[in-house]
Amino acid sequence: MTQHVSPPRGSADKVPSVSESSAWRGMFARADVRTLSLLGVLAVLVLIGGITKPDEFLDTRNLQLVLTQASVIGVVTVGMTFVITSGGIDLSVGAIVALASVWATTVATQEYGFAGILFTAVIVGVGCGLVNGLLIAYGAMVPFIATLAMLASARGLALQITDGSTQVVTVNSVLDLGERDAYVLGIPPLVLVFAVVTIIGWLVLNRTTFGRRTVAVGGNAEAARLAGIDVRRQRLYLYLLSGLCCGIAAFLLIILSGSGQNTNGNLYELDAIAAAIIGGTLLSGGRGTITGSVLGVLIFTTITNIFALNNLQSDVQQIAKGAIIVAAVLVQRRTASTT
Amino acid sequence: MAPEPPLLSMSGITKSFPGVRALDGVDLDVQAGEVHCLLGQNGAGKSTLIKVLAGAHQPDTGRLRWRGEEVALRSPIAAMRLGIATIYQELDLVEHLSVAENVHLGHEPTTAGFVVRGKAARQSTAALLRRLGHPEIDPARLVGELPAAQQQIVSMARALSHDVRLIVMDEPSAALDPDEVDNLFRIVGDLTAEGVAVVYISHRLEEIRRIGDRVTVLKDGRAVAVGLPAKSTPTREVVALMTGRNVEYVFPERPTAPAQGEEPLLEVQGLTRQGEFEPLDLVIHPGEIVGLAGLVGSGRSEILETVYGARKPTAGHVSVNGRPLKPGSVRAAVRAGIGLAPEERKAQALLMLESVTRNVSVSSMSRFSRAGWIDRRAELGAARAATRELSLRPDNPSVPIRTLSGGNQQKAVLARWLLRGCRVLLLDEPTRGVDVGARAELYAVVRRLADEGLAVLLVSSEVPEVLGLADRVLVLREGRVVHRAPARELDEHRVLDLVMEGSPAT
Amino acid sequence: MPQHTNRFTSRRGLLFGTAAVGAGALLAGCTSNDSGDDEPAANDQPAASDSPGKPVTIGFAGPQADHGWLNAINDNAKNRAKKYSDVTLEITEGSNDTAQQIGQIETLINKKVDVLVVLPADGKALTQVGLRAMRAGIPVVNLDRIFNTPQAYRCWIGGDNYGMGLNAGHYIGQKLKGKSNAKVIELAGLDNLELTKQRTKGFDDALKNYPNVRKVARQAAEFTVESGQAKMAQLLQAQSSFDALWNHDDDQGVGALRAIDQAGREDFLMVGGAGALSAFQAIKQDNGVLKATVLYPPTMAASAIDLARALGQSKGIGGLAEFEIPASLTLYSAVVDKTNVDQYMSTGFK
Repeated sequence: MTQHVSPPRGSADKVPSVSESSAWRGMFARADVRTLSLLGVLAVLVLIGGITKPDEFLDTRNLQLVLTQASVIGVVTVGMTFVITSGGIDLSVGAIVALASVWATTVATQEYGFAGILFTAVIVGVGCGLVNGLLIAYGAMVPFIATLAMLASARGLALQITDGSTQVVTVNSVLDLGERDAYVLGIPPLVLVFAVVTIIGWLVLNRTTFGRRTVAVGGNAEAARLAGIDVRRQRLYLYLLSGLCCGIAAFLLIILSGSGQNTNGNLYELDAIAAAIIGGTLLSGGRGTITGSVLGVLIFTTITNIFALNNLQSDVQQIAKGAIIVAAVLVQRRTASTT
Repeated sequence: MAPEPPLLSMSGITKSFPGVRALDGVDLDVQAGEVHCLLGQNGAGKSTLIKVLAGAHQPDTGRLRWRGEEVALRSPIAAMRLGIATIYQELDLVEHLSVAENVHLGHEPTTAGFVVRGKAARQSTAALLRRLGHPEIDPARLVGELPAAQQQIVSMARALSHDVRLIVMDEPSAALDPDEVDNLFRIVGDLTAEGVAVVYISHRLEEIRRIGDRVTVLKDGRAVAVGLPAKSTPTREVVALMTGRNVEYVFPERPTAPAQGEEPLLEVQGLTRQGEFEPLDLVIHPGEIVGLAGLVGSGRSEILETVYGARKPTAGHVSVNGRPLKPGSVRAAVRAGIGLAPEERKAQALLMLESVTRNVSVSSMSRFSRAGWIDRRAELGAARAATRELSLRPDNPSVPIRTLSGGNQQKAVLARWLLRGCRVLLLDEPTRGVDVGARAELYAVVRRLADEGLAVLLVSSEVPEVLGLADRVLVLREGRVVHRAPARELDEHRVLDLVMEGSPAT
Repeated sequence: MPQHTNRFTSRRGLLFGTAAVGAGALLAGCTSNDSGDDEPAANDQPAASDSPGKPVTIGFAGPQADHGWLNAINDNAKNRAKKYSDVTLEITEGSNDTAQQIGQIETLINKKVDVLVVLPADGKALTQVGLRAMRAGIPVVNLDRIFNTPQAYRCWIGGDNYGMGLNAGHYIGQKLKGKSNAKVIELAGLDNLELTKQRTKGFDDALKNYPNVRKVARQAAEFTVESGQAKMAQLLQAQSSFDALWNHDDDQGVGALRAIDQAGREDFLMVGGAGALSAFQAIKQDNGVLKATVLYPPTMAASAIDLARALGQSKGIGGLAEFEIPASLTLYSAVVDKTNVDQYMSTGFK
């Protein structure tokens, strides 16, 4: 019935043989097609902007404007990309931005000046992220519910702090960063922060063990656990990271608008999720791309810019935004499946 | 035979998925009024074939004829319209809807096109259930409240609620007890008497003898025998066709001198999980392979997962190299050098969207990183070395793991633990979903790892595998070890007796 | 499956813990917004009749005060009621949830308050409960957002959105008189609200009187600082030169002014809307583009309390020949500029 022979070493299974170099090219090409299709969408938009409003659109001031407007939601989206890649969701980002921005602009906080505002915004963001993370990782709550609860509470707390009024910033060192000719290293400060967050985010996701664990948890949480990854601690860190990004974004928003208001960050959660998804991050987790997310944000901001320059009204803008989300996802799926 | 064309004939059907050719030119013909049995091992292509029949998969090439006319089944609805109904193994019922709603799902009797006539639906459902010999099932009850066997009946009633000419049944008897199987066969007999054709899939040869007319055998995506007489073809011949060989398994040689005298590597003392398994003592030395034999539900996988820390024991502890592990902690087990190749490879071990490299390196990332920064060159090099050592094909760790065959995916899991430098390997059904041909190679790899000083704990429901590969065997029954012996002193019949017997005393 | 949690026993953990506690203590002190000069609005207008009369219990139900104007509405109502020794105010927790607001109003009806003042979250949706109160013999003062039918209120008092646009348009038209080919842009509020459409309509109608003035662009923000900044920045990029800007709302105006400042533009005249304190202050200082704002006065809540008290005591309004309170009162959207800003300063909301 059974028989013992010496082991046959190295006999091959039947598998389509793929040479190493072509596989490399294959994976590279797949990633690239996705990015290229987004760049294509962006190029078409630039073309439309350039044709309809050549003087106003193709202007370095306008480029600066688009990038500056993109930076707040962009930083939020980088954090969101990590969370979605891990198979989670963070619905509380907009509310956290609101809470951090009002907490950091109260009369009491402003007495501590620049450092006080920055510190408060970041710590409030991280604190909310910590609560989210603890509830999800160690309280075994579903991310959707836990962050929905945070959304409600953070907005409520923000309203309680402001009493509905707008808190104007009087700290000049903060306001100066949002001025027309404020440059750091030749770049507007907000854009610089956005760029740095993007680069760090890309490196962390693609080049570090943290990024690998994020992808592993999102791709197959049970497999990650059985492979010896501390899945819960990873989840905690991910929501902390998202909170940190919200804190940074809140600080940028304070610089940009010169104020804190409890209505800040309205619907950021949807904008960030939409940007990440059209960027190519899987909503089910296991695959995430910072490059794609940032391109997604830039696409949305450019559309808004072109529409405003052409004096189109909000109804048209909203319709077009929806259409572009669908188109971008369809184009991507088509191009991704043909390779 | 009448000159009338067969009810259904399929010819030259092929279907490929990334990395697998699931169907490779399959022919099948089914006559009205017959029970046509489909046989084959796991992965032979049976499920793909029935999904093609149900319109759920589109074949890459090949033709389908229905009553002599060429047709294309572009969707499950198209198949249903022709009169093809499929009862899947994993039942596809909506638990929160009632029996009648399930039966009429998608074709509810309506007034004015949209108002569902609930009473009419319940009445026709009751009639169908009577016909199926189960008038006691209330059409108004929620399906989720019914036992599995009755759910099966509901599924069948749903198939019959259409004007059905051909029914595909995928292992319908798996969840049934003998009485219910008899009822099922009566229903099959009634249906065929009415001229309905049945394509019947089962692993149980005796069932096929009882109700089958003809048999088609699938192996590796091909039909190796089409339309054999079900009652008269010898079992031996059918098995030979399914496995493609007369000797079923090839095992590596055991070392001449079993590892003795050395310090035990893995020690399990009094390990218990209430309701799953009773206190277990077990010692494995370096170089030893110990097998756990038992049926599904005997507690074998639970024991493995508890040793690994994925389940928390109610009592007892596990030591590696004499050091006790923190109970219920996977990370402690991994740190101590234990690795697990779990039963459900895709669900529990693999990151399907990732490359082989990343699947292999996932448990040893800290080795290729400084301050969290991954040295990808070192990672790739190490993954390549580990996969080469196990002769993983293709010899390129950058390919996505989902393109690999089952055997090579399993090797990637082993490579993961090899790279981690693990000393104790827990293997849960290591050859599930692995081709028969690739199994021998996997056995050789496991033996070689043991020869290199690893301690291996093996769980398998295939008794020959345990007997052939392990040095010592523990036989489990209902969470209890009923027998321990060196593998040489056991044979398959003895183990099967122990496993199935009412009491271990005999 | 249970798995051990990471306890804060490491040094790193302790440090982090200490920092967290420290940060928490510091932050908790930072929620204060008390700047010491918080003077309630609408304190110095004369009250209707200061001689105490029959005691009146007024029930007040409004939406959630999630921005400055609504907050000012609540403050105005409360402060006004405090001024009358014969008025007891039963104020509900503000809510934007229609069902919840209905419940609150029904509670007030059951408590048998003498008069109701209702600023509905949604006028149409709350009409039924207004009718119920009237049938129960409780007169309703409908504040600003109007019910579907006059049967649901005894008296309506509210602002004039069309008039706001009209007055803003006339003010700008007058200022640009004699300037040929003058360009005007409009920064509107939330576009899916009826009131935004009315304001725009009034503005457009007024501009028709000035053939030399043309509206060249309009974008809608969302009444928030953030959206005001974003939309204004885009408008400024789109229009390299223009002569006047009308911004519907002073809250979003904070953002708009920030964007104007950031773009370094000062070659135009800006008119705001609503009447926020920050806008009044800027108008008074007169060192920026903001020269005027058109009122949508939150003092209407104070007036609503006056009306409710008068209804409860069966009196008319002083200065009018009528015996009865009018059925509706539309407030005038006055233009506040440098010449009259001091008069309005105390009504400005934050």
